[in-house]
Amino acid sequence: MTHTLHRQGEYQNEDYVWLMYQAKGINDTGIAEKARAFLAAAEAVGCSNWGDVKSGSILLYPVDYVKSRISNQSRLRGVLNAPEHVTEFLKQVKTADTGLSVVISGPLDYVLPACKAAGLTPHTINFSLGVWGKKELLPKQETLAVTTMCGHHMVAPGIVEKMAREVRAGRISAEEAGKKLAALCPCGIFNHVRAGKLVGEMATAAKAAARAARDGGATATPPTGCESCAGFEDGGGDSGSGAGAGEEE
Amino acid sequence: MILIDQEKCTGCGDCLAYCSVGAIKVKNRKAGVDPHRCTDCYVCVRNKACPQDAMTPSSLEAFIDEFCHVISDPTVTTAETGVPGRGTEESKTNDVTGRVKKGEVGFAIDMGRPGVGCYLRDVEKVARAVCAAGLKLEPGHVSPIGKLMTNLETGEFLPGIGDKYFLSIIIEGKTPTSNMGGVIQALQRVEKEIDTVFSLGLVLRVDEEGRSAAIAELPKYGLPVPTRGKVNVGLGRPLVTD
Repeated sequence: MTHTLHRQGEYQNEDYVWLMYQAKGINDTGIAEKARAFLAAAEAVGCSNWGDVKSGSILLYPVDYVKSRISNQSRLRGVLNAPEHVTEFLKQVKTADTGLSVVISGPLDYVLPACKAAGLTPHTINFSLGVWGKKELLPKQETLAVTTMCGHHMVAPGIVEKMAREVRAGRISAEEAGKKLAALCPCGIFNHVRAGKLVGEMATAAKAAARAARDGGATATPPTGCESCAGFEDGGGDSGSGAGAGEEE
Repeated sequence: MILIDQEKCTGCGDCLAYCSVGAIKVKNRKAGVDPHRCTDCYVCVRNKACPQDAMTPSSLEAFIDEFCHVISDPTVTTAETGVPGRGTEESKTNDVTGRVKKGEVGFAIDMGRPGVGCYLRDVEKVARAVCAAGLKLEPGHVSPIGKLMTNLETGEFLPGIGDKYFLSIIIEGKTPTSNMGGVIQALQRVEKEIDTVFSLGLVLRVDEEGRSAAIAELPKYGLPVPTRGKVNVGLGRPLVTD
């Protein structure tokens, strides 16, 4: 499963995923207690999102509920927002000595020094070699920067673009949009802080494009792509956002 | 697939944005789901995409439909691997499983990713290409895709499933590092023959600085040195050192 590996776009140096992993049949006993040790380390350094894929993330459910569901089948993972947080997290996990595997996913120029600062040497790395094949089928780059934060594809391009329109229209803040998108990812690996920034920038760019189109006398088209409108085969549209010409800026 | 109660549906289109693969369409002011495109990921149902509560999953009777659901929905565990969703423990537990050893390279070919989806006929095309180049695929009890194959040596799939559409699925295997270039070149050829995308990960044992001689070879094949990685920091016990 490579759902944290292939992230794209800006602000990757503010985006690190930690994963706690037991290996089936090797070190998969007494997991609940060990998971709580991981969680204590994560909370101590300011983990912005975390979850257990079987129960959901703390941006989907109340944190006490997710904690109460920790079990011997749990697989915890979460998001850290700075390399120094990675170092401190690793130091604490190393001290806890759970015997479980620990993985940090992120930009190697930051992750490797963070490991070294924690006194750890990498054992194995899964290196990302990017996207291959028919790339013209991909969503737009600014959308991919958000959707690739959930490698399981639980955050669709259409909902990202819808959130950007909501932000552009002033109905929600960029930060709220980031949290709404993160709630779609049950694992807790989606960086809602980074998503808020990216969606805010999409909204700003769309607003500027609409203004330029209006000032230039052209009819503005939905600058955020509105891929979801493509699903209307009878000329309908996205009833939720009112995107496009005449939209509130 | 997902069923939409046509009596309840108002044709508002709110559900469209939740589908990664564009399986939902609105026609004549009613939403419908393309049964050939829906991957049963249940994102729309789980997140209450329909304000009228008109969406429900149908029962999954055929093996391939149930398999597709388990692979596409990370809240469901694949029984044999014990890992949610599509994948396996791959590099994440390599410090205790030793699946990829020194002198070997693991390939994680994440078909349909990001955000495109894939037909199994394209997945089989890639699997056959890398097998012919010497990649040894993981068996079905380690990597779910193995359950779809009749021959792990050749990458041949079960008959009659080529038109099944998946959100994504991973081809995993390994080969000696001396053969890494052969598998990469096979991927460079087959990437031009498929109607989808894949994301590629290379799993390698590394030195204390996180370096690998195999990574330094990548520019020979026209590939950049990777900037992202999933780093197993070697805290698992008992630790595999070979």
